[in-house]
Amino acid sequence: MKQERKYEMTAPQEQKSHPLAGRRMTGAEMIIQVLAEEGVDTVFGYTGGAILPTYDAIFLYNADRQDRRHEQIQLIVPANEQGAGFMAAGYARASGKVGVFIVTSGPGATNSLTPIRDCMADSVPVVLICGQVARAAIGTDAFQEAPVFNFMSPCAKHVFLVEEPEELEATVRTAFAIARSGRPGPVVIDVPKDVQNWEGVFRGEGKLHFRGYEQRMLELSRSRLSEESCGAFFELLARSERPLICAGGGIISGDAAGQLSEFAKRFEIPVVTTLMGIGSMDTTDELSLHMLGMHGMAYANYAVMDCDFLITLGARFDDRVAGKVQEFAPKAKMLAHIDIDAAEIGKVKTVTWSHVGPAREALEDLMRHGEGFRKDFSAWLEHVRDLKRQHARNYNRETSTIQPHQVLECLSGIVKGEAIVTTGVGQHQMWAAQYLDIRHPRSLLTSGSMATMGFGLPAAIGAQLAFPDRLVIDVDGDGSMRMNLGELETVTTYNLPVKVLVLNNRGDGMVRQWQKLYFGNRFSGSDKSLRQKDFVKTAEADGFRFARRLTDKSRLEETLEEFIAFGGPAFLEVMIDPEACVYPMVGPGMGYKEMITGDFIVGRNPVDDLSMGAPPSDSF
Amino acid sequence: MSTINPPASQSNSQNTRTLSILVENKFGVLSRITGLFSARAYNIESLTVARTSDPSLSRITMVVRCEPLLAQQILRQVEKLPDTVEAVDLTESNCVERELVLVRVKAPEEKRTTLLTEAEIFRARVVTATPDNYVFEVTGDSGKVEAFLDVVRPYGIDEMVRTGKVALHRNLSAKNGDTEPA
Ligand SMILES: Cc1ncc(C[n+]2csc(CCOP(=O)(O)OP(=O)(O)O)c2C)c(N)n1
Ligand SMILES: [Mg+2]
Repeated sequence: MKQERKYEMTAPQEQKSHPLAGRRMTGAEMIIQVLAEEGVDTVFGYTGGAILPTYDAIFLYNADRQDRRHEQIQLIVPANEQGAGFMAAGYARASGKVGVFIVTSGPGATNSLTPIRDCMADSVPVVLICGQVARAAIGTDAFQEAPVFNFMSPCAKHVFLVEEPEELEATVRTAFAIARSGRPGPVVIDVPKDVQNWEGVFRGEGKLHFRGYEQRMLELSRSRLSEESCGAFFELLARSERPLICAGGGIISGDAAGQLSEFAKRFEIPVVTTLMGIGSMDTTDELSLHMLGMHGMAYANYAVMDCDFLITLGARFDDRVAGKVQEFAPKAKMLAHIDIDAAEIGKVKTVTWSHVGPAREALEDLMRHGEGFRKDFSAWLEHVRDLKRQHARNYNRETSTIQPHQVLECLSGIVKGEAIVTTGVGQHQMWAAQYLDIRHPRSLLTSGSMATMGFGLPAAIGAQLAFPDRLVIDVDGDGSMRMNLGELETVTTYNLPVKVLVLNNRGDGMVRQWQKLYFGNRFSGSDKSLRQKDFVKTAEADGFRFARRLTDKSRLEETLEEFIAFGGPAFLEVMIDPEACVYPMVGPGMGYKEMITGDFIVGRNPVDDLSMGAPPSDSF
Repeated sequence: MSTINPPASQSNSQNTRTLSILVENKFGVLSRITGLFSARAYNIESLTVARTSDPSLSRITMVVRCEPLLAQQILRQVEKLPDTVEAVDLTESNCVERELVLVRVKAPEEKRTTLLTEAEIFRARVVTATPDNYVFEVTGDSGKVEAFLDVVRPYGIDEMVRTGKVALHRNLSAKNGDTEPA
């Protein structure tokens, strides 16, 4: 498989001409040929009229390689195009490679919009190939026509509509380069049916040119920290007594997790991560303070309140992290920010020191420069250890109902941070983020910025296809599971050993939590207790041979063990306490000092629970 | 063109920004860029787009009413688009800016002489005339154009059309395609 290159647009080319150069092919065949050359071993997608030629080309491509299965491009068919998109995203998030999905025009394309936007918001590299009506019919309200270019443009990193068939080959190659370069993101290629059917000469090389972008990518890839800039950074560090690193998803997508923990250990600086940054630092590490933010660990948020120097790496002060910007890290007189995206520097917080470039190289530069740097932060580290001890995560361990935290704590004990975990969106997502040990990057795959319910199951399928031998667990909610329930059948169709764990609280728990806090317990639209769905029967009907429901708390551990050990697709529904709430919580638009910690986590400055009143009216 | 502009900021109200964006000359680029403004509900006051001396590039000149910092932020986002070559805020920079206006003014026989005398001050040209009207063409920075319109307004403006502002840096811009001397 080809090495993926992260920042540069142009891969080094062996100057030999391509063995297929000069061969006549259809547009559809060229698409598949370029996919193969980009290292694509799996594509996800659903066929239909306007993409039929390309599906035929995949069939023929694989038929030609009957005896060389490893060269084939495996085609995974979901129940819905949204599923295909999240599978491609799960594949990309788990592996770091570009995920690919292929859909038809009109409804196939509109169903793909949600995963495209989700990938954009979380910086995930995917390429979507969309069939489109023939060029002559575009703009005439033809059958299954949708204005893909128009509606995808503001949602994707880039969109191509292939008008000149001669440019198709170069367009596909360029799409991969754009998806994976700089800050990664989704690229859409809209290919009219007649362009797929067109026949022409394959060149085997060539890309479209984007002068400004290429120049910027080149500058980014060369962007190193000067001695002077390193010096300035260490001056700040020398002035600091309480430094704190805040690591985000950029550390993971920038393959800089190793450098981050080396850096943190070398200078003895504790690390909090954003939701997207979980896995950038082993959560079981002494220096790890786990997640910060709205539902961050109490001790992580206290550390943010106490630090005097915040070093933000590949994170962007989203409103779930800094709900009240002016009160975020109030004692941090100094703020450093490293990001691959210049537009993020100073967007929310004004910074003292910044660098635009790949985090990995930046951290290496800093470590080289700081070889002789010594500063004793032991008093601060002691303080942080105290915070961790005194404000540890906790929940009601005495109930007869099963607490979701306990399920995840127990699961964590079984898998020991070695699984790839995906999630839906809601309370279960936050509990998974809080209670699972995550030891490696690309191990917690979650829809962070868009927070799209229904992400978990298809993402798990994609991750499992990227890593057939690893343990992949989807920790899902009953509401989120319903969103892409059709993909349960996809799991068994391809006999993927995905473990699907549904924490069933009979409804949209996260919404209910907000309704309890801010809407006087009026559970408008979020109560599902009268719903008839039998998840276990559903899973059985879809071919799961392990499909169980757990209601008995005393059988939790053994059931989870059997579930994880099962050699194939497995489904487990755990009926949890529907009243359980996610704590800590920093209300929307509020500062960390207003964080509530619930009845079981010790808070530092107790705020009466549930007495938070209405959130500021413009926050959400 | 011989008239030299005063610094642009003089003729601008504080929150009006003149942005100059050099892009690949491809379809869809303009809507993508204007979309970044409309997504934040910022109205674009004026917009001009045309090819540069390098026909594969286009220059967009845009006047937007927004805070300087916000303009900076949107420009950084514009600069992320693969099609963008360069995006700058020219408002406080050393640039020349011009706008062209065609305006049809009521010109009854008895007022023609004074009207033409006043037009002369602004070097406005009569491009066509009818027994009742003159159509003037005037070029200049916003200040001059506005002043001219103030002068002819009392005569009665029938109709008018403005191109919107174009602006060019006096020195050679770093990355652009306009390689002719300023
Ligand atoms: C597609 C989509 N629709 C609506 C929402 C708003 N929302 C956020 S969490 C949530 C409830 C999720 O319910 P469930 O999956 O059962 O998770 P729980 O909170 O109960 O653990 C809803 C409706 C969303 N995030 N995504
Ligand atoms: Mg639920």
